[in-house]
Amino acid sequence: MSDLVTTIAQQLVNGVVTGCLYVLVALGLTLIYSILNQINFAHADFVTLSAFATYFVVNKLGGSYLWGIAAALATGAFLGLLLNAAIFAPLRRHPDELVPLIATIGVSIFMENAQLAAFGPIPYQFDSPFAKSAIHLGRIFFTAQSVLIVAVAGLTIAVLYAFIRFAAYGKALRAVAQDRETAGLMGINTGRVLGLTVIIASALAGLAGALLGPVLVLTPFAGATVIVKAFAIVVIGGFGNFEGTILAGLLVGIIESYTTQFLNSSMTDLVVFALLLLVLAVRPTGLVAERRDENV
Amino acid sequence: MSEAALSAGGKRRIAASDLAIPAAICIIAALPFFFTSSYWLSVLTLCALNVVLALGLNLILGYAGQLNLGYSAFYGIGAYAATLLIKLAGFEYWLALLCGGLAAGIAGVGLAMFAVRLKGHYLGIASLGFALVTYEILMNWVSLTQGPLGIYGVLPPPPIDIPGLVRITFVGSRSFFYLVAAVALVVYVLLNNLVRSPIGDNLRAIREDEVSAASLGINTAAWKIFAFGIGSMIAGIAGCLYASFVGTLVPDAFFITESFTLLAMVIVGGLASMPGAVAGAILLTVLPEALRSIGDLRLVIFGLAMTLVVLFMPGGLMQAWDTLRARRLRGPA
Repeated sequence: MSDLVTTIAQQLVNGVVTGCLYVLVALGLTLIYSILNQINFAHADFVTLSAFATYFVVNKLGGSYLWGIAAALATGAFLGLLLNAAIFAPLRRHPDELVPLIATIGVSIFMENAQLAAFGPIPYQFDSPFAKSAIHLGRIFFTAQSVLIVAVAGLTIAVLYAFIRFAAYGKALRAVAQDRETAGLMGINTGRVLGLTVIIASALAGLAGALLGPVLVLTPFAGATVIVKAFAIVVIGGFGNFEGTILAGLLVGIIESYTTQFLNSSMTDLVVFALLLLVLAVRPTGLVAERRDENV
Repeated sequence: MSEAALSAGGKRRIAASDLAIPAAICIIAALPFFFTSSYWLSVLTLCALNVVLALGLNLILGYAGQLNLGYSAFYGIGAYAATLLIKLAGFEYWLALLCGGLAAGIAGVGLAMFAVRLKGHYLGIASLGFALVTYEILMNWVSLTQGPLGIYGVLPPPPIDIPGLVRITFVGSRSFFYLVAAVALVVYVLLNNLVRSPIGDNLRAIREDEVSAASLGINTAAWKIFAFGIGSMIAGIAGCLYASFVGTLVPDAFFITESFTLLAMVIVGGLASMPGAVAGAILLTVLPEALRSIGDLRLVIFGLAMTLVVLFMPGGLMQAWDTLRARRLRGPA
C-alpha cells in the first residue's frame, strides 16, 4: 500500500469512530425532536456530567470501565427524568414552542457553570483501559477504545431500532409522534410516553459521555464542543429522522478527519457548517427526505 | 433604566404615551449622576447596547416570528466591518458606523434570502450554523481579523463640533453612555413606529399564520427578508458601538452564547413587546453584574433564574406586569 492510500484508509477509520460518537450524541436530540418536537439545549451538559460520572467511578472509586458506563447511563437517565418533570411536562401545553427551548438554554447555562464551579476548568486526565492498547491491521492502527465506540454505537442503534419497531412502548412512541391527540384517545398515556422519550434520549447522552470522556479533553465544556456539531448533524440528516442522523453523523465524522488531514484542523468546524448551510440551501429537508413537511 | 417610563406608553391615552419619550430622555440624562463610578457607567452603557440588540432581535423574533438563534453573527459582522474600515481603509467613524450596519444588514438579507423557505427549528439551526461559520471565519482569517489575538486600540468616536455652540467628545464613559443611550432611544422610536404601521401588521400576520397572510396578498418572503435585514442592521450598528466602547475586538465576544443571552432578554421581557425587550435587556445585563459579589456561582444563579422566569412567567415580564396591573385595577379578589 502506498502512503497516501494508508493515510486515506487510516483517516476513514478515525472518521468513522468520531462519527459514531457524534451519532450517539445526535440520536438523543433526534429522538426528542421527533417525538416532542422540542430541542434540548442542555443535552451537551448531560453528556459532560455523565462523562464526569464515569471518570469518578473509574478513577476515584476504582470501578471497572463497564461500571463507569453504567453510571453514565444512570446519570443521563436521571437528568432526563428531572428535565422532563421540571420543563417539558409543565410546558407541554404552552402554545409557544420557544418557551421550553429557552428554558433548556437556562438549564444549560446553569449546569455548565455549576460543573465549572464543582470541577474547575483544568482538564481531567481520564484513561479508559481500552484507550492505550493499539490494534494494528496492516498499516492502519486503532485503539481498543475505538472498537468499543463503534461496537457500542452499533449495538445502541440496533437496540433502539428494535425497541421503536417492536416493543409496545416503541409503538406507542411512534403513535404519539404521529398524532398526540389521537394517540391519547386510543388509550396511550401520552405524558408517560413523552417522559420516557426524554429519559431514553438523555440516557443516550450519558452513554455518549462515557465513551467520549477518554477521547476528548474532559472539562466542564467537553459536551459543548460536540453539541453544536450534533445540532448540525441533526439538521443535515433531516430533523427527527433516525436514518438521516446516523448517515449524517458518520459523514461529518469522516469529513472532519479528512479536513484535519488534508487542510487544517482549525478548518473542520468551518467545513462542517458550510456543509450545513449548503444542505439547508439545496435540500432543506435533510439528506434523507422527511415524511413530514411542516418545517419547510 | 427607562422601562417604567416607556411602559407608560402603549395602548392607553395619547397624553401618557406622549410623555413617555421626554420622560425616558430625562431618566437617561439623570442616570449617570446617580451611578458615577466608571464601573457602573460601563454597566449602564452595556445596558443601552443590549437594549439596542434586544430591540433588533425582537423585531425578527417577536414581531415577524422568525427564530433567529444566530443574532450574535450580525453583531460581530457590524463590529468587525466598521473597525476594519476605520483601521485599514481610513474611513471616518460615523461613515464606518453606517457601513458596519449596512454590512450586517446585507448579511442578514443574504441569510434570509435562502432561509425564507425554512421555518421554526430549521431556521433556528440554520441561523445558528451561520453564526458558527461567522465565528470560525473571524477566528481563522488571521491576516484580516488577527484571529483569537483580537484587534486592539479601537478608538472611540471622534468629537462632534457644532460650530459656535459645543464640542461633544466621547472620551469619558459618561458621554459614551449618552451616545449609546441616544442610539437606543432613536432605535426604540423608529421601531415602535414601524411595528405600529401597516408593515408591523404584515409582520404579525406572517407570524400568526403564514399561509393566510400570503392568501391576503402579503408578500411573506419579502417582509421576512425585510425584518431580517432591519434587525441585522441594528445589530451591526450596535456592534460598531461595542467595538469603540470596549476598545478591543475578539471573536469570543460574538460566540453563539451571546446569541442565547440576547434571545433570553427578548423572551424574559416578553415577545413582541417593545417595553418588554427594554426591560429584559436591562434585567439580564444588571443581574449578572449584581451577582458578581458571589463570584463563580453568579452564572449558575443566572441560568437558574432564566429557567425559573421562563417556567413561571412564560409570557415574560410584560405579561406579568399586565396581570399585576389588571389585578390591581380590579381590586383585591
